[in-house]
Amino acid sequence: MTAVLEHIGRRTLNISSTLRDTLSSAFRILLRMFDPRVYTSAVRSVLINQIYFTSVQILPLFLGASIIVGSLLIGIVFQTIKDLGLAEYTGRILMGFVVTELSPLITVQLITLRSSSAMNTEVAVMKVNNEINTLRVFDIDLVNYLFLPRIINGIISVVLLSSLFSIVVITSGILFSKLIFGMSLDAYTILILNSATFADAVILFLKCSAFGFFITLIPIQCGLNATNELTSIPIAVLHGMVKVFIAIIIIEVLSLILRFI
Amino acid sequence: MAELAAEKNERLSWVSANVPLISNLDVWANIALIRQYHENMAAAEARRLAEEYLRRYGLEGISSKRGPALTNEQRFCVMLLRAVMVRDAILIIDQPYKILIYSKADTYLDDTLKVIDDSFKECYIFDLTWNRDRYRTTNAS
Repeated sequence: MTAVLEHIGRRTLNISSTLRDTLSSAFRILLRMFDPRVYTSAVRSVLINQIYFTSVQILPLFLGASIIVGSLLIGIVFQTIKDLGLAEYTGRILMGFVVTELSPLITVQLITLRSSSAMNTEVAVMKVNNEINTLRVFDIDLVNYLFLPRIINGIISVVLLSSLFSIVVITSGILFSKLIFGMSLDAYTILILNSATFADAVILFLKCSAFGFFITLIPIQCGLNATNELTSIPIAVLHGMVKVFIAIIIIEVLSLILRFI
Repeated sequence: MAELAAEKNERLSWVSANVPLISNLDVWANIALIRQYHENMAAAEARRLAEEYLRRYGLEGISSKRGPALTNEQRFCVMLLRAVMVRDAILIIDQPYKILIYSKADTYLDDTLKVIDDSFKECYIFDLTWNRDRYRTTNAS
């Protein structure tokens, strides 16, 4: 019994200290983000490269996935709405569920799978190779050079790609609203415009920003936790990715609570 | 005194196997990084400067290569050029033969440093005593 309690206590302490560390670094980085002096030429170069790798290189895959998943999703949603006789709520369901909930979630999963894992590995390899030491020796601040450009890239990428996903879904909706409800383009446009609220847009933006922030912060932090042994790389990546998925769930739950308060 | 120490500390610039090149940056970017970060030098200008220095060693062809693709001598030169990007650099070369593993010529280090001797203020080389012969010196401490 005592052993079980000790185990629970230890786990709780570990989780709370991880959470405290993550939140305190998030706060420090957030403050640093608004200091224009940190955006030196080197930091800007990293930012441009990161945006290219995360948002531009992924575009063909992302567009393809958006068209396939988005069209299927909207087709199923419209058919279900028709079967349940909820046609008058179509716009609200489309904006409130598909655009503000599913779009960011699918986008963040794709970016996490592709870019967060890459960042986690990149930083862990840098740690193992002593390259982090190089940055320290040349007085290059790790937060400014490693964290900031990647985190800003994360925020920009999730916000933009999530918007792109929403646009694809709404555009697919034109076809499916015609096929399933026999709705004209004008009627569909009015339905969408009437269903969009400013509060939804703000929550969507904040949620995407939070996703972008944490799916980059956590992998970098976990990458830095690697030791000098090669075998620590997969362990650092594994821990990082698990923590990222937990963070995604927490942000999703918090945004749902915020929406329904 | 403390200010002088801090100022000197800022100018210390290491060339060491423990301070490797950043593997996800090209050779020119490794060299340019120091000026880009500390002096906010524009990327194009910093690249031009890095390539100008590489030309001194006849290494302009490796500008777009990455660390693992370099020979030991090329890697040493790139590390040296990165170090002299620090303003008024005080070079600290730590066990150079850990980088130049197969180098036989005992004048290599002198010759390499001579090419860029206008770009640093002072230079200190630290090595193990059993490498004394490679420096052609008898009073190494």
